[in-house]
Amino acid sequence: MGGTSSGGPPAIVARGLGFRYAGAAEAALEGVDLELEPGGCLLVLGPSGSGKSTFALAVAGLLGGDVPGLVAGSLRVDGADAGVVFQDPDRQVVMERVADDVAFGLESRAWSLPAMRARVPEALCDAGLAGYEAHPTATLSGGQRQRLALAGALAPRPGLLVLDEPTANLDPAGARAFVERLAAVRAARAATIVLVEHRVDLVWHLADRLLVLGRDRRPIAVGPPDEVVARHGARLVAEGVWLPEALERQLGVVVDHAAQSSAAGAGPAVVATSGLGFAFERGRPVLLDVDLRVAGGERAALVGQNGSGKSTLARLLVGLLRPTAGRVDLLGDAPHRMAPADLAARAGLIFQDPERQFLATRVADEIALGLPSADRARAAATLEALGLPLASFGTRSPYQLSGGEQRRLSLACVLVREPRLLVLDEPTFGQDRLAVDGLLALLRDRAAAGTAILAATHDERFVAAFASRVLELHAGRLVVECAP
Amino acid sequence: MIAIAPLEAAQSRSVLGRTNPLVKLGLAALWLVGFVVTPRVGPPLALAIAALVAALILGRVPPVAVLRGLAPLWTAAIGIAFFTALFSAANADPAARVVVALGALRITDGAVADGFLLGARVVAIAAVSVAFARSTSPTALVDALVQQARLSDRFAYGALAAYQAVPRLSLDLAALREARRLRGLRGDWHPRLLVALLVLAVRHAERLGLAMDARGFGRGPRSHFRPRAWGPLDLVVGLGGAVLLGAVLALA
Repeated sequence: MGGTSSGGPPAIVARGLGFRYAGAAEAALEGVDLELEPGGCLLVLGPSGSGKSTFALAVAGLLGGDVPGLVAGSLRVDGADAGVVFQDPDRQVVMERVADDVAFGLESRAWSLPAMRARVPEALCDAGLAGYEAHPTATLSGGQRQRLALAGALAPRPGLLVLDEPTANLDPAGARAFVERLAAVRAARAATIVLVEHRVDLVWHLADRLLVLGRDRRPIAVGPPDEVVARHGARLVAEGVWLPEALERQLGVVVDHAAQSSAAGAGPAVVATSGLGFAFERGRPVLLDVDLRVAGGERAALVGQNGSGKSTLARLLVGLLRPTAGRVDLLGDAPHRMAPADLAARAGLIFQDPERQFLATRVADEIALGLPSADRARAAATLEALGLPLASFGTRSPYQLSGGEQRRLSLACVLVREPRLLVLDEPTFGQDRLAVDGLLALLRDRAAAGTAILAATHDERFVAAFASRVLELHAGRLVVECAP
Repeated sequence: MIAIAPLEAAQSRSVLGRTNPLVKLGLAALWLVGFVVTPRVGPPLALAIAALVAALILGRVPPVAVLRGLAPLWTAAIGIAFFTALFSAANADPAARVVVALGALRITDGAVADGFLLGARVVAIAAVSVAFARSTSPTALVDALVQQARLSDRFAYGALAAYQAVPRLSLDLAALREARRLRGLRGDWHPRLLVALLVLAVRHAERLGLAMDARGFGRGPRSHFRPRAWGPLDLVVGLGGAVLLGAVLALA
């Protein structure tokens, strides 16, 4: 072992650890051997579906009982009591008030009332939420909720902290604030940390050791970060594992910015807005006075903090909302007044959460839903091109696909109609590098064929590789419009 | 979701808000029995007014929140009153006085009285429910159910989680409807939406359940961060409510 901190026995020892979910044909994770010293920080990397979350659940002690399936090999976790932070901020808040939510885990462990009253403010302070005790949890931002989850996990002073992509849903500022708090926990070496994270640039400096899982759901490497990259760099790149940008450049990963110079919006506008405004409630505008135009062939990135109005603007452009001020012009008509069939032929929107877009129980039905018969022939070819051939995916349930497959299916359902305007909401969320590279190539092809593309995103790397133009929203106003 | 902040004062600082939810629940049940046993229109309407006045003054519930809660039930009360009058067995009595006669349709005064009585009961039930729901924070209810009514943790916290998932469910439904429109499909409603909504609800419940278990839920006996004890206020409100019910029933 590296022996960076205390010389005691390792906090985590895994020998041949594997797991197969109940009812699954193949193992979700196989053959993990590793040791981690107490107070150490293990960063878990790997492409989508390589078993990262399964490993996190195993270490947190949630496999077997809470999640049915078969465990292979052995796993010993010292001090067993783990605090866990999951990916989705909406799916881990239990109570209505901030302090009550932090205390929930303490109540489960039967802490005394005075101990709880002393500990809750401390945990909130550690998570950067000092003074929020009486705040309703429903009105916290995504970033604050994620730090609330951290406070809840830290409150019982766990020996082990497990985090499964904790910043995936956060904007860059929210992610940085979260990682800052995590860095303080690591600096104190109070808990052993197991961290699954795609945003490697932010967390690389925290890692004492890496566990890299491959597409075969087996470990590629375990060890100190520098050593792993030096010995297995090429394999990591080939598997589509995210690495810090500087390291990727050293390893020769080419980000193709060249295609950007083309098509700078000279053509006629596909979608344009003038004085566009929107408010869900009178007097509380979400969008104010937005003027923009996107021409065929353009690839526009729409950036801005959580709550700056990106999703609202996206929905206005494709006619899902009716403007409360100004107007939207989609190829000559106001999209919210268009007949559904007409609208679907002209514009498509990819939701942030693909599951909210699925309406059928089989992949084949999903893509055929509402599709004009003239477009039917293209369905099979579109699925094939996105790596979801009907022969092997047609009868599967959309809900049982992996996150990356779900994203591609929702893309296929839109692309099959060949709309002139394609709007994407956080398209790279939770995707590995190969999936993002595939998406980039696809979007470039579409743009070259004359489609106007607008992507609302927090992903700074995606913006750099994708956009021919960047639009920034701040508090509902378009503040910056520039070339990347 | 929008109504959360304005109810803060009603649910934590007002007289009704500080009263034990179990007392309020017991009173509501008692009043409900009162509505059903009385054969007259007066008592349910008087108690409905009492419940609304209590919600507004003792509960400090904003009038808007009261009206919003009542809105769907007003419609129900009027509909029930109308159809009861229309289909009442009293209409078949040839000796009864006819109030409305339209061809074969005849409504007697006995049927109208039946309609008014049922309508009044629905209004009263609605008023009591609104007074209870708007002045009671779900957290306080769960605390009282677990600590004082000795209900199982799993059930009580599960119900709380389900209650908090309701706003999310309406967002899910809105997203699914948008997804239909984007596929060129007309119509706001389709059975398929219900299936998709159910799948999303189950998945949400699974994930939340896992997050709760990760925080040690169900591991053993729990301690309580918000200990509850009976107080004099509970006795006053409980007795007051019971006496009022008795008085109204006796006077009518």
